[in-house]
Amino acid sequence: MAGSLVSPSLGEARAFAGNLAALAPPVLLLALWEVVSLSHLFPEQVLVPPAEVFRTLFAMTQSGELQRHVGDSLHRLSVGFILGAAAGLAFGVTIALSRLAEAAFVPLFLTLWQVPVIALVPLLVMFLGIGEPFKVAIVAIASFFPVALAAFDAVRGVPRAWFEVGRVYRLSLADTVWRIVVPATVPAVVTGLRIGLTRAWVVLVASELLAADSGIGQMMEMGRQLFQIDVVLSGVIVSGLVGFAIDRGARAIEQHATRWRAA
Amino acid sequence: MTRSLLSAPLRTAAGLVAPALLVALWQWNSGGALGSVAIAPPSALLTAGRELVADGTLGAGVAATLARALTGFGIGAALGFLTGVAMALSSAVNRVLGPLLQALRQVPMLGWMPLIALWFGTGEGSELIVVCVASFFPTLLSTHSGLRQVESRYLEVGRIYGLDTGQRFALVQLPAALPFVLTGLNQALAFAWIATIASEILLGTGAGLGVTMQQAQMQQRLDMMLVAVIVTAFLGFAINQILLHLRRGLLRWQPDNR
Repeated sequence: MAGSLVSPSLGEARAFAGNLAALAPPVLLLALWEVVSLSHLFPEQVLVPPAEVFRTLFAMTQSGELQRHVGDSLHRLSVGFILGAAAGLAFGVTIALSRLAEAAFVPLFLTLWQVPVIALVPLLVMFLGIGEPFKVAIVAIASFFPVALAAFDAVRGVPRAWFEVGRVYRLSLADTVWRIVVPATVPAVVTGLRIGLTRAWVVLVASELLAADSGIGQMMEMGRQLFQIDVVLSGVIVSGLVGFAIDRGARAIEQHATRWRAA
Repeated sequence: MTRSLLSAPLRTAAGLVAPALLVALWQWNSGGALGSVAIAPPSALLTAGRELVADGTLGAGVAATLARALTGFGIGAALGFLTGVAMALSSAVNRVLGPLLQALRQVPMLGWMPLIALWFGTGEGSELIVVCVASFFPTLLSTHSGLRQVESRYLEVGRIYGLDTGQRFALVQLPAALPFVLTGLNQALAFAWIATIASEILLGTGAGLGVTMQQAQMQQRLDMMLVAVIVTAFLGFAINQILLHLRRGLLRWQPDNR
């Protein structure tokens, strides 16, 4: 409103200045961090300058160590997520379509849901050890619940009238599913998939901290045990970036999948 | 409707079938082993539970975990609320803190654990800080966006009544944002609970349900583990129910909560 009163170029200049102002605090913070750590006020195991962290990041990228850890984590995430989401979808659709299945399984489902996934880590480690099956299982469990719930809500939410329209048009079962159920449920299910994926990432990083031989979480935990704060901070940065990329990517897919709603 | 196909008692009965089958399967397999873990029969849970109550492990664990979760939640949520208010009321604060907090928020909640443990050791303090961080961000975000979304007609009414800034905040903005804030607090408490258990499992000092789980894993005690997991789940559920009731009480004046 105020912007429309000034000429566009002036508005742009202001916006540019605003962006610069937004950059100032992080830059100042980085500078302060660099100065304080160079002043040796704190021992090197507690605070290293940001330049040191970036050097470590660069070195780990060159040696391929970072890619190996991130690759291992992402591999676990994708395998576990595909398994957990597929099971969640199948389960959610089943309990939505069959009243008997709903009555039989929903109480158990809701009870198990009360258990924080992280509390299952020691239990799963006991049975599966700290190898790949454990990490894939924990990711699958973390993805299963949000996806199952979203699928259940989505299928239950399809208006009855839509099925009646399908009946009027004498659609076959396949056509009913493909033309009515799928388009009606895709947006909610995709949202559930996104939530499942981002939760699974958080749970995976935590489980790698607790028990792993590789992965971004294990990299941080090793760094902690060896007092390599540059490695720990690199891990914090990389896990934040990966989490951000996963969230943004999933949101983009979500928007693409639900674009027909805006039309 | 199809719902009438199953009467209420029949539905309850159907809901018991799957858990009953699970317990039966478990009983049937007990005495055997899965991997290196001996499968204790379901009845062993009662024995283990009684044993953990008798030697005080369970009582101390529950008390320590609850105290840790609630203290961390209290501090983290209070800081999150104050920061959210400051960012919503002052665009200068928002510009300074906004980008930084957005960046920090991307790090997975428990990813901070190694760094915090490195800085503050593996004791009680670190566990508390992890819980604070986990409660801070959801409270901050919901407070900030709740205050930002206050309808302008409410603010206009406030202006007509000649409210000063403090009155406007207390009488108009905060009540209007309350549902958002409470949703955030609800999420923050759930996160706090998860962070408490996770930090106890990883750092494992003192008493706590997570510490008990970690010990059960090392001693390969399935019965002890399941008791700790079940108690954790039950407490999490109870805390959540209490908060939902509080929410209903606090929002009674809103038309859709009556």
